[in-house]
Amino acid sequence: MTVTPATANDVDAIALRNLSKRFHEGRLPSFGHTDEGVLAVDDLSLDVREGQIFGLIGPNGAGKTTVLRMLLGLVHPTQGASYIFGEKMHPGSKVLRRVGTLVETPGFVPHMSGMENLKSFWLAGGDSWKDANIGPALEIAGLGTAIDRKVRTYSKGMQQRLALAQVLLNRPQLLVLDEPTVGLDPGEMRDVRDLIRRLGQEGSTIFLSSHILAELELVCTHAAVMAKGKLVASGTVEELIGGRQSVYVEVDDVERALRVLQATPGVIRAEPEPPGVAVALDGIARNEIVAALVHAGVGVETVSTRRRLEDAFLGMMEGEDA
Amino acid sequence: MTGAILVELRKQLFRLRTYLAIGAMIAIPVIITLSLEFGRQPRHPREQTFFVVATHSGLNVPLAALVATSTFLLVIVVALFAGAAISEESNWGSLRYLLVRPVSRSRLLATKLAVACALSFIAAVVIPVSGLIAGTFFFGWHEVLTPDFTVFSQSEALGRIALATLYVAWCMTGVIALAFMISTMTDTTLGSVAGSLGLVIISQVMNAIDSLGNNRTFLITHYWRAWEQLFQYPTETTDMVNGFLLQIPYVVVFLALAWWWFHRRDILT
Repeated sequence: MTVTPATANDVDAIALRNLSKRFHEGRLPSFGHTDEGVLAVDDLSLDVREGQIFGLIGPNGAGKTTVLRMLLGLVHPTQGASYIFGEKMHPGSKVLRRVGTLVETPGFVPHMSGMENLKSFWLAGGDSWKDANIGPALEIAGLGTAIDRKVRTYSKGMQQRLALAQVLLNRPQLLVLDEPTVGLDPGEMRDVRDLIRRLGQEGSTIFLSSHILAELELVCTHAAVMAKGKLVASGTVEELIGGRQSVYVEVDDVERALRVLQATPGVIRAEPEPPGVAVALDGIARNEIVAALVHAGVGVETVSTRRRLEDAFLGMMEGEDA
Repeated sequence: MTGAILVELRKQLFRLRTYLAIGAMIAIPVIITLSLEFGRQPRHPREQTFFVVATHSGLNVPLAALVATSTFLLVIVVALFAGAAISEESNWGSLRYLLVRPVSRSRLLATKLAVACALSFIAAVVIPVSGLIAGTFFFGWHEVLTPDFTVFSQSEALGRIALATLYVAWCMTGVIALAFMISTMTDTTLGSVAGSLGLVIISQVMNAIDSLGNNRTFLITHYWRAWEQLFQYPTETTDMVNGFLLQIPYVVVFLALAWWWFHRRDILT
C-alpha cells in the first residue's frame, strides 16, 4: 500500500491536544503537606501526519514514555486529549485495531512459546487467527525453529524481535514504538532501522521515541524535542538541525588549524581534539573550510560529519538549563 | 468473548503451577486414604469425626477430604489463581500489551475473573472425586456412616456430597473476589495471595473468639463448614443458606472496588 504525498499530509495520524499528566505519590495529604505530585507532561500539543516517520527525542525522564502511554490509553491524562486518525483515545479504543505497539520492553508469557504468545496476544484482541499477518511477521522476527521454544529461554534480543513480529500482526497503519532498538546488538539495530524505513516507504506512519539521536536522524523525517515534560521544538529533521552542522577534521598541525578556523567566517566554534579539530559550522560548506585549511598550508587527513541532530539537541538542552 | 476466555484458560491451565496446585488437591484425599488404611485407628476414639468414620465406606472419604482441605489448602490454591490474575501479567510486562488491543478493560477483567473461577472450581471438584476413587478402592462402595451415626444410602450420599462440594466452591467466591481485587492493585502475585490469605486468617481467628457472639456471623469464613450439617440428622440447612447469601455482599463489594480501581489505574508497568 502506498500513500501519495498529496493525501499523506492532509490527515492527522496522531493529534495530541494540551496533554498534561501529573503523577501523585499516593501519600495522604497531611497538615502542612499537600501532594502536588510531579508534572511529567506539561501542556503538550503535537501533530503527526500520515506517512511521517516521527521521532520523539528527549533525555531520560523528559516524559516521552508517558506521552506514548497516554496516546495508547494506558495512562489517563490529567488534562487534554489525544486522537488517532481523528478518533479520541480512551482505554481499548477501536482504532487500536489499526495500531501496532511496542511500549518499552517486550512483555511475554514466559511459559508459552513465541508462537503461542503471538497467538494468545492476537486472539485476546477478539480477532480471528486467519486474519493475522503471520508470515511477514515471522519473517521479521527471524527466530526460525526457536519460535516454538518457550519465551523463558529467549535472549533479550530474541524477545525484542518477537515483539516486533507482534507489532506487525495487524498490518498496522500506525506504529507507536518506544525505544525499539533497546537491547539489540548493532546488526539487529540496523535491521530494525531498515524495517522502520521500509514500513515508512510502504505508507505506514511511525511514531517512535529514542534517546539514541544518531539513530533517529537516520530514520526519521520529522522530530519533536521534549525536555522536562514540555515540547521544546518540532519540525522536520532538517529544520531542527538548521544550517548548523559539525565536522571533525583530522589535520597534521592542530595549533595552526585552530588559528585558521577561528579566523574563518561561518565557523561558530573550533575545539582541539587531537589528532584533529572539532568544528561547528553555520552557513558554510565543508569543502570551504577544507580549502581554507589547505590554503594556509595545513595538511588535511580526513573530514567526517558529526552527529548533527545530537548537536542541535544538546544546543536546545543548554538553552533549557539556562 | 468465549474465544478470549478459551485463550486465557489455555494460558493458565497448561502450566506447572496449575499442575502442582490441582495435583495437590488430588493427592491429599489419596494421602488421607492411605494413612487411614495403613495407619492404626484408635479402638475407642474420644470423638467421632469424619476421619474416624472415613474407613467405613469409600463414600466417606470425600467428606474427610473436604474437612481437611476446604478451610485452608483450597483457600491457598484459590487465592493463588485469583490473586495472580492481573498482578502476574503486570509482572511479566504483558499487561500493557493486553491493554493496547481494541478491548475494554472490563472485558479483560471479566475474562481473567472467569478463568480464575473456572480453575478454582476445578480445584474444589477434584477433591471429592479423588477421595471417592481412592476411598472406594480401599474401603469399598458401602452406605455412608456419619459422625452422629446417621446412615445414608450410596445414591443419597452422592447427591449430598455433590451439594456439599458446590457449597464449598461457592464459599470460595468471596476469597476469589478479594484476591482478584488486590491483584488489580499490586504488581506482585505474592502480595495479592498473602493479602487475601491474611484477611481470611484474621476472619478465622475472630470466628474462634466466642465472646464476639453473633457478630461473627458477618465474617467471611463463618459459615464455611456449614455443609457438614448435610450429614447430620435431622438435616439443617439454615446455616448453608446464610453462608450462601453472605458471600454475595463480599463478592459485590470486592469486585466493584476491583473494577473501579482498574479503570482509573495508570498502567506504568
